[in-house]
Amino acid sequence: MTKRRPLWDSWKRSRTRRSGSRPHMIYLAIGFPPAAKSSTYRMRATANQFAAAGWDVTVVTIADEAWERDYGLDHTLVAGVDPRVRVVKLPLFREDLETDVRAYTERRALDHNDYLTELREQHLKVFPEPVFGGWRPALEEAVLRLHRERPAELLVATCVPYVNLAATWKLWETHRVPYVVDFRDGWSVDVINGGEAFPRDSVSGRWETKLLTDAVAIWNVNEPISRWYRERYPELAHKMRIVRNGYDAASIPAESIPAPADRPLAFGYLGALNLPVPLLEAVLEGWRKARAADPALTDATFEVRGHIGSGWARGDNRHAELLKAAAADGVVVGGSVPKAEVVDFYSRWDVVVLMVTGGKYMTSGKVYEYMATGLPVVSAHEAEHDASTLLSTYPLWTGAVGLEPDALAGAFRRAADLARNADVTERDKARVDARQYAREEQLIPAVREVTELVLGVGGPAGTAPGAAADAPALAREGGS
Amino acid sequence: MIEVLVVLGAVPARVAVLTDALTQFRALGVTVRIATTFDPVEKIPAVTELAEVHQLPTAAQLGPRFGRMLKRANPARRPWLRAQRDPWIRRHAKRADVLVALDVKALHTVWQLAQRHRRADAVHGIAPALQAVQRRSADPARYRRHRLSTIGPSPTALTSTTRSQTIDLAKRVFDLSTGKRAMQLAPVRWFWHQAVTAPGVPERLRGVAARRVNRSMRRAGHRDSANRLVLAAQRRMRSVAAKGQVLSPMVEAELKEGQLPEHLKTVVKGQLQMAEGHLKKRRTGQAAEHVVRAFDLMFHRNLHFDGLTSPLAADPAGFLAPLLKSEVGKALATPQGRRTPAEFPPADRPHRMLFFTGINDNFIGPILDRYEATPGVEVRRLNLVEESIRPVLGNGRMRLTRHRLAGSSEHARRVQEAWGADVAWADTIFVDWCNLAAAMLTMIDPGSARVIIRLHSFEAFTWWPHLTDWSRVDDLVFVSEHLRDLALAAVPRLRGPEGPRTHVIANAMDLHRYVLPKPSAEARFMLGLVGLSAVAKDPRWALEVLRELRRRDDRYRLKLIGDELRTSLGPGVARYAEELAADLAELEPTGAVVRTGRTEDVPGALTDVGVILSTSVRESFHCGLVEGAASGAVPVVRDWPFFAGRAHGARTLFPSDWVVSTPAEAAQRILDVTASEETWREAGRAAASHVLGEWDWSVTHKDFDRLVLEPPAATR
Repeated sequence: MTKRRPLWDSWKRSRTRRSGSRPHMIYLAIGFPPAAKSSTYRMRATANQFAAAGWDVTVVTIADEAWERDYGLDHTLVAGVDPRVRVVKLPLFREDLETDVRAYTERRALDHNDYLTELREQHLKVFPEPVFGGWRPALEEAVLRLHRERPAELLVATCVPYVNLAATWKLWETHRVPYVVDFRDGWSVDVINGGEAFPRDSVSGRWETKLLTDAVAIWNVNEPISRWYRERYPELAHKMRIVRNGYDAASIPAESIPAPADRPLAFGYLGALNLPVPLLEAVLEGWRKARAADPALTDATFEVRGHIGSGWARGDNRHAELLKAAAADGVVVGGSVPKAEVVDFYSRWDVVVLMVTGGKYMTSGKVYEYMATGLPVVSAHEAEHDASTLLSTYPLWTGAVGLEPDALAGAFRRAADLARNADVTERDKARVDARQYAREEQLIPAVREVTELVLGVGGPAGTAPGAAADAPALAREGGS
Repeated sequence: MIEVLVVLGAVPARVAVLTDALTQFRALGVTVRIATTFDPVEKIPAVTELAEVHQLPTAAQLGPRFGRMLKRANPARRPWLRAQRDPWIRRHAKRADVLVALDVKALHTVWQLAQRHRRADAVHGIAPALQAVQRRSADPARYRRHRLSTIGPSPTALTSTTRSQTIDLAKRVFDLSTGKRAMQLAPVRWFWHQAVTAPGVPERLRGVAARRVNRSMRRAGHRDSANRLVLAAQRRMRSVAAKGQVLSPMVEAELKEGQLPEHLKTVVKGQLQMAEGHLKKRRTGQAAEHVVRAFDLMFHRNLHFDGLTSPLAADPAGFLAPLLKSEVGKALATPQGRRTPAEFPPADRPHRMLFFTGINDNFIGPILDRYEATPGVEVRRLNLVEESIRPVLGNGRMRLTRHRLAGSSEHARRVQEAWGADVAWADTIFVDWCNLAAAMLTMIDPGSARVIIRLHSFEAFTWWPHLTDWSRVDDLVFVSEHLRDLALAAVPRLRGPEGPRTHVIANAMDLHRYVLPKPSAEARFMLGLVGLSAVAKDPRWALEVLRELRRRDDRYRLKLIGDELRTSLGPGVARYAEELAADLAELEPTGAVVRTGRTEDVPGALTDVGVILSTSVRESFHCGLVEGAASGAVPVVRDWPFFAGRAHGARTLFPSDWVVSTPAEAAQRILDVTASEETWREAGRAAASHVLGEWDWSVTHKDFDRLVLEPPAATR
């Protein structure tokens, strides 16, 4: 439970609301729908939950065109956004992902890599984040302007990008607007390789310390990351809260049934293909071996859906090449799937394959969704991984076998067996167990807690206690 | 119909992705033409079947004048210079609706074409090209309308051309005035000296000019002018990296000549600083190149192996301070540790020992023989010269350096693949020599196996101990105390909490085979020296001793057993060999010196040797001397200068009466012990008894058994 500090009370008393009963919240959420990023679902649900809890939410994100260069757009996501949420799109673009050669200077055309290096160096001078650091002035200006237009009682910043923290600090420094840092995968913890990403006395370290010290609440996506932060900042431990990613109920099919014996099995993977190449190689090799060794997999397909590469390398990287080369082994490659169609894919797959990088600090959002489907899950990640912790109680899991192709082949074969033989009762039990990870279950208490901390017990005037519970219904609208 | 012109500046790494895209273009009814800077038929035959592919004209086709211009031009501009002169490109670029650069080397050409053909889309990458085509297909009418702003070449193109021509001209003038020919002229040298050392010149510019002029002066044979120039230029510079770059050619030249350069530390520091810059930006590949360069300078063989002194031996901490105190040195020293501590094998199964062999097995034979014959021990050899293993060692130093700097690497996975099964099998891994194989073994987690490395001598003067992750080594064996002292001083982390236990165990030597009778009493006048192939053996010191002796009694002679010096190793060796040859020319004709060359029968060669010498400037143990002593020859040991006066050295390793400081002292000891046949034979017997009792394998194997067959003591 977050410890209440007297200082918050003084802010609450001094803060007045200009218009009506709904307090105003600025939500720095770069990646908000329609951006087709993996974090977009969490952002949408967060905005919806705050709106449902009585806040007028102003989301700050970047222009749609910017996402076309990056991971693309999924307009089906927009329908699920609470209509009360206002979205402000800043004309910020990732210059490194520009593919229009006419927009290049001759210098960039002559030495593209040097140009990018210098660009990153310039960004780092503004804020310690090589790709997004340069956005700091625009973001700071945007939050100040929004606050001038309508004073905010709360700012929630979700990272990445971490440059959001600069704008968060600006509003705190100038107007003392309380803020929440939704740190998701954290910053100073290296979730891919484990350990410290940067020391406390580095530029990034000083930013992190400064921001966390004055935050109302600090959210992380799992226990290992939260523990990292509790140990790194024991004096701030009372502000830390785990807000798991969870899954969206609308993406989950109504039932999970055993695969009929008269058709080949369908395995599937859904998610961005930004995995380490050796991981993908190991999975494809394991799949090939399993298919060659097990008659149950003879005609089986492995459908890989997700975005491959960005900028000029979109669809043109080693991942794409490996997947194309695996076509002979029944690997089917497709682009990303609109959120509204996700449910159809889970309906037609018999097994889901969880390919995730990182180790003990990494969970991924996908694991919750996979568990909720009630389908057998093949894990392709390090054995010591937070996804393993979650899946350890999932009955249709083939185990954490690591990344050796032979071991993965064994996992594929076990999954094939489960796909045919795990009965409906077992599947239903798995689905029921996974319900605790519904996204709203994760967010409602966290939103309520922040609301109480900032506005006092009872929430915004005129909002009935427990109003956030309406949010799930909203979140499900539009097929999200 | 939509026409697409694709430019490839490099052979595509993923041809399958390209052919797939071409198939998609074809399905959309698009005409695709591809221009390449390389031979497409040879490099991308699959692509030639799906599109019209054309190679840009080569320098050979465009004539020698163009070739010279191409050579001078910025490499990134070269594809465009070729394309500019290509009617095929001009024709098809004019018609193209979409211009595509598929890689960064093609970007400038497409940028230039885009400035001249402004109605076309110009994009970078396959997916953006497909998008551009789809946009045009969706709204062809929009693209049919010509806008005024898209007619004719862009003013940017004209500006760019003028600017690049001006830059090319300026470069040409600079190249000519700073070239080798210009430097033949004294006024030009004077001018550039003044220009490069003038106050107020920006540091970067001063550095570029100083390096260029220095190089040209050297090539023109004006080395003194070049040295004066760089010394004056570096005094005006602030950055150590810039100073190092400027001083580097001078320092390298001095090193090649076997001198200890005054500015060596500055150049080393400069390289390490540049490495640090790259490291901060996580460019470990580039950082590693500078680190390796610093290694080459610090551990240059002329400094430590081919002379009679070594700055590292004289002051290890001081000499290596630039490395050890740098951020790079700290990154190299970062311990990765092991997941589980080494476990001693259970008693109910054989003790599995893995020996790394194949590269230099000179000192490991008796050890292998012993444990292969020991009940309860299973020995496996990992032969490093085997076909399957050798590629792992290729370019090992650079790969290791990158790995140490980054903390991980793809190569570690390959090492794991190649060695992992043997490492997992072993309870104990023994690696003789602390060099590449030992360092590479520490790239991977040894699991529960205990890792033992033996460091002889030369390794202490190399980069290998600095590239070894000592947190993954359990025991480090030295063959003498003074080598342990040196190694611990040179690699301070050996003494750290994560460092290995250290031991001193003498080399495994079968000394009994040297015990043969010396039938002739005249043997006492024959001095012997075994091993001459390194300057460090300093045979000229033996000749000094011989001269001293012969001044008093010309019955004394010297027998030199072993290979000659390899003069090709460097100027230091050549210089020494020349001086030695002059000495021998004086002494050999009189019969005072006999050279046997290399012999397989050293015990036989020692039967007429009465006094065995160790004249080296450094030794870790000197097996040749001990073997001579075992034969009954009386040992006379120079107090090895590298270690003389230290806590440990020849004086602590051998009985004190064996060790002398000067040729005169050596001569006196020889005269004393060879005064009569009895005294000589008695001294020889005592020496033989001492070495057989101390260092024969029948004795020293117990130390080895304790090390490998017993659970290790807890203390380090």
